[in-house]
Amino acid sequence: MKGLPRKRGKKLEDTTSNDQPEVSTPRHRKPRAIGYTTPSRTNGVTAKGETPRWKRNDRSAKKKSALALIERVVGGESSDEEADEEIAQEIYESSEEEEEADEEGRLGVDESVGATTDEAATPSKRPRGRPPTKKGGRTRKKSPTPPRDLPPHELYFAQNRPGAAKTSNNTLTSLKLLTHDEYFTLLREYQDPHKEDIEFLQSLHIESFPQWAFELSQGFSVCLYGYGSKRALLHKFANHVFSNSPDHDVHKIVIVNGYVRTNSVREILGTVAGAVDPSHKLPTGGATVMLDSVKNLLSSREIHITIILNSIDAAPLRKPGMQPTLAQLAAHPQVHLVCSTDTPDFPLMWDSGLRSSFNFAFHDCTTFASYDAELEVVDDVHELLGRKSRRVGGKEGVTYVLRSLPENAKNLFRLLVGEVLAAMDDEGEGGETPGVEYRMLYNKAVEEFICSSEMAFRTLLKEFHDHQMITSRKDVMGTELLSAPFCKEELEAILEDLMS
Amino acid sequence: MTTHETTSEAFEEKQHQGAYIFNPLEEAEDKSRPAKRRKVSKKLNKSESRKVAGAPAFPRLFGGGESERCSQLRQKLFDYSWSQIDQRIQRILREANQSTLHQVTSFLQDVPDHAPAGKIPSAFIITGPNIASQDLLFEQLSDTLHAQADATVVRLRSGDASNLKAALKKIIHDTVTNRGSADENDLELSVSKDGPKFLNYDLEALYAHLKSVPRRHVVVAFQDSEAFESGLLSDLISLFSSWLDRIPFALLFGVATSVELFEARLLKSTCQCLYGDQFDVEQSASIVDKIFKTAVAHPEAPLRLGPNYARVLLERQQDQVASIPLFISSLKYAYMCHFYANPLTVFLADDLETEALQKEHIESIRGLPSFRRLVEMHVQEGDTKQAKLLLDDDKHLIEHVRNCMGKSRQWVVNLLRILKVMAISTNPSGDFVGLYLDALLNGIDLSDQNADFRESIKRMQPADCISFSTRVLDAIKDGDLSLGLDGCVEELESTVAFLSSILTETQQLQKDAEEKGHVLRSKYSGQNKILRATVVAQKVQLSHDAAMLTDEDKAYTALIDRLMDHLQMLLRTDSAGDMPYNEIWLYDAKTPYRDVFVPRPRTVVERALSRPHDYLGCSCCKSRGDQIMPTLPATAILYQFYLETGSLINTADLWSAYFAIVGEDNDEGLDERTALVLFYRALAEMRAAGFVKQSRKKADHIAKLAWKGL
Repeated sequence: MKGLPRKRGKKLEDTTSNDQPEVSTPRHRKPRAIGYTTPSRTNGVTAKGETPRWKRNDRSAKKKSALALIERVVGGESSDEEADEEIAQEIYESSEEEEEADEEGRLGVDESVGATTDEAATPSKRPRGRPPTKKGGRTRKKSPTPPRDLPPHELYFAQNRPGAAKTSNNTLTSLKLLTHDEYFTLLREYQDPHKEDIEFLQSLHIESFPQWAFELSQGFSVCLYGYGSKRALLHKFANHVFSNSPDHDVHKIVIVNGYVRTNSVREILGTVAGAVDPSHKLPTGGATVMLDSVKNLLSSREIHITIILNSIDAAPLRKPGMQPTLAQLAAHPQVHLVCSTDTPDFPLMWDSGLRSSFNFAFHDCTTFASYDAELEVVDDVHELLGRKSRRVGGKEGVTYVLRSLPENAKNLFRLLVGEVLAAMDDEGEGGETPGVEYRMLYNKAVEEFICSSEMAFRTLLKEFHDHQMITSRKDVMGTELLSAPFCKEELEAILEDLMS
Repeated sequence: MTTHETTSEAFEEKQHQGAYIFNPLEEAEDKSRPAKRRKVSKKLNKSESRKVAGAPAFPRLFGGGESERCSQLRQKLFDYSWSQIDQRIQRILREANQSTLHQVTSFLQDVPDHAPAGKIPSAFIITGPNIASQDLLFEQLSDTLHAQADATVVRLRSGDASNLKAALKKIIHDTVTNRGSADENDLELSVSKDGPKFLNYDLEALYAHLKSVPRRHVVVAFQDSEAFESGLLSDLISLFSSWLDRIPFALLFGVATSVELFEARLLKSTCQCLYGDQFDVEQSASIVDKIFKTAVAHPEAPLRLGPNYARVLLERQQDQVASIPLFISSLKYAYMCHFYANPLTVFLADDLETEALQKEHIESIRGLPSFRRLVEMHVQEGDTKQAKLLLDDDKHLIEHVRNCMGKSRQWVVNLLRILKVMAISTNPSGDFVGLYLDALLNGIDLSDQNADFRESIKRMQPADCISFSTRVLDAIKDGDLSLGLDGCVEELESTVAFLSSILTETQQLQKDAEEKGHVLRSKYSGQNKILRATVVAQKVQLSHDAAMLTDEDKAYTALIDRLMDHLQMLLRTDSAGDMPYNEIWLYDAKTPYRDVFVPRPRTVVERALSRPHDYLGCSCCKSRGDQIMPTLPATAILYQFYLETGSLINTADLWSAYFAIVGEDNDEGLDERTALVLFYRALAEMRAAGFVKQSRKKADHIAKLAWKGL
């Protein structure tokens, strides 16, 4: 911004009219363009033909091969032209290798002479490539491990070298994956050798409780970061605050677990409001309406609330609108926020506006405690391995998928969910999820003009199947049963969503 | 505490809920009691609840040996000093926006006179990138507009209005319920009073409401207009313009970049609906400058912020466009740290009673580096008696500390006066803040520092000299309100007399020179003409200049020399670090600030995982060289492997590498399934931390997402 404070600018009206669109930009650009002339030297070089033809050819070959490699890396799939690729790889690597050879001084005499003469002719223009013919049979195996102690950025490039990511074809097929039961049984038996050290570490953090409490009282929010679950620590802190507060009626503590998947703005704000006045009813409406109501409620009472928020960077709290709501809540003078974060990149969640309403004081709180409550270890790992990926994440996932599908796919899913729900009501709770007969669903779909042929019907179903939004099984009679792998509440929510 | 333990199991279940109220005693208590008690306590504890909100007591320092009286005194001192500073800062912030407020208000008031019909009056407020203090600005705006321009103001943030419907709902809701009093019922009533009930996003409802409560303007303020979707903005604006004949809309846009850029995002047809004017807000840099002057450099600030700390603060402000609230918080944090953790701050109290002091206080005073320097200095000067007194006699020491505290205040005033004079000079070598920090760090001594200032004085033309002298005289007479300096004519009587004589002499010389028909100059003043092209030419010019000096010129040169000498004598002060007992009133530690405000979570997590020993302090994990110890936490082991992999990781290989380290082959190795459990847990943790994600390139492969140290 210009350094002319409080100067009234010109009337906007002038600029709004179309008479002079983009007045300033071209005017600046033009003289510049004239000022810069293309250096004539490059022209001269090619015109004189100083660069030998083979060299140019070679350069383009290298370019092409690099392009091919990039495509492969970006595309990410092994293509059919394995052979082409190998050639490309060879061409590309030949130059790299040569460089290394240069550095190591292992270059043959005649080659090095050739290289130096090249350099003398066109020092700056010399392409790094070398004609493949010259290479002969000399191939040096490159070590898969990069040299040690590289600076971080070099290591990055070394590890992301095109074609460098060669991994073995081993798979985990021979390994029996863990089930939930086995996981928890074994975990219960396991004794962590570091138990005492972790407890000692925690005791160190406990010593700073009074400091945190002081920071809270001064209008700061406290944010704990570092490796390890901070849930137990924060629970202890809640106890500390609780036992130090002289009157529990004017000072309440609310604990929020950010990692709980069902967490919503309404639940958090509702609990806060409930802490202030159990009879208060949150108004229906958006986050802002609820927030306003809670803030008004707070301002009307002399109750202070300490919110202890586990994992403020957990996925449920990363939903749009969540952080601004929390920030505004934390900015209220009667609200004191203590939160913990688990990911190393959490500051990216907040812009400077949010940061200043949170008014954070950060503390390194590495605990090394395991994330017992925060993570669903077995599910997470299986999803990571792409083994038994949990179907698209509940209601949001379905809505997300359906948004990108055509209208009749939505209708079909609505039909299916409705039928499954009806079947659930008939059969009552318990047992497997009831299914809908394939035939019956097809007939209904035809009746409702969702599809006209079985072909179209199957195409639609396939889409659902790919996203694991439906399951199909055969009952004892051999009839195919379709179902949706969600619990009843989720199904109802989905249906509601689809109908609106 | 026992109650906590017994009820803790009942809590176990609650603990996994999304949100709950924490109250370990609730189970034991009767449900009806808290409700009853609240009524009573509300009346009784009105004053007490302040205290609850206030602060938990400061800890006792000296390893718990500090008396409660002292720790309370520190707390009181902190509360008092910060509240003083805070008031000042708030006043500055409020004042900073005044002129903008005034301009915007008068624009909206005058607009009906000159606005073309059918266009929405709109004010574009160029706020700059400092979005954090926008809230204050818009809050002030809405207050002022409501009071002075008879308008209701609806503040919209991009987060509130994701689509047209939500935006309209918010606008209508806020206008109708504006200014307290109205609650939900009122809203219903006013909306559906006559005839049909309106939808809550129908502007008709607003129209109906305005019939009963007429307003001159309905101002819609887009606080962060760049963040709004441009289509939404265009829709809203065209909608407003079509309702303009019934509802007197006016718009405020907070623009962070420039109006041209903002305009380019809107449809041309939309732009034509607007009749606008542009308003600038005082930029954050100048506000920070002002805050610095009143809150940091001001002689009444009880705590000096050291040059290192302040520099870090200001650099961050400049380089990272940190917000002004953050700057204020950082100031506050410095106060907090100082009073919370430094037991000697009790000496800052004006009414400190000697008997309140403890043995520990005296001891730690004698341990201060500045005290040692002081004693050493006395010894070197041969004043062993004074040194002995300081070391042995407690009473004498306390008296001395008090004297020095008084002196330090005088020192600050003196320093600021000097800086004021230096800032007056025609060619200030840096801004006030820079000068101030330099002076704190190095002191001021014109004979070997501040060459720029010296040069600029020497080269002064007579006119400059006159204006310099008059301005210095004025400064001495009037002081500087923003810096809290009073006039000090009595104290600097000799200087005033000297400067006045310089002033009159210069004027006299100038007059004489004019009469003789040439321009008065000193032998130095030639040098600031354009540099001659060659060294020879320069030399010729110099000798020429010297040769051409007239008698008046020579007299003027002598005069400048005298002025220079006087200034050198006058403008001289010690650095903050040289002052005895500066540890009591100087805060200059960078460490807690860095950690608390500029966290480096990546580094912390990386360090924890690559060297768990740093945190755990256990004997088993001390790594020898690069060996990966099997006793490391599983995640740390995986992280070691992770560092060595390329961008794609084969989980099967990762598992076999892991198992080779912790597995049965080693002594005390784990069996396969237990190892797998730990492996799972570590992998899940890596995923949650965002180090890896699923990859579909190959079976059982995962993609690496983070590189250490980047």
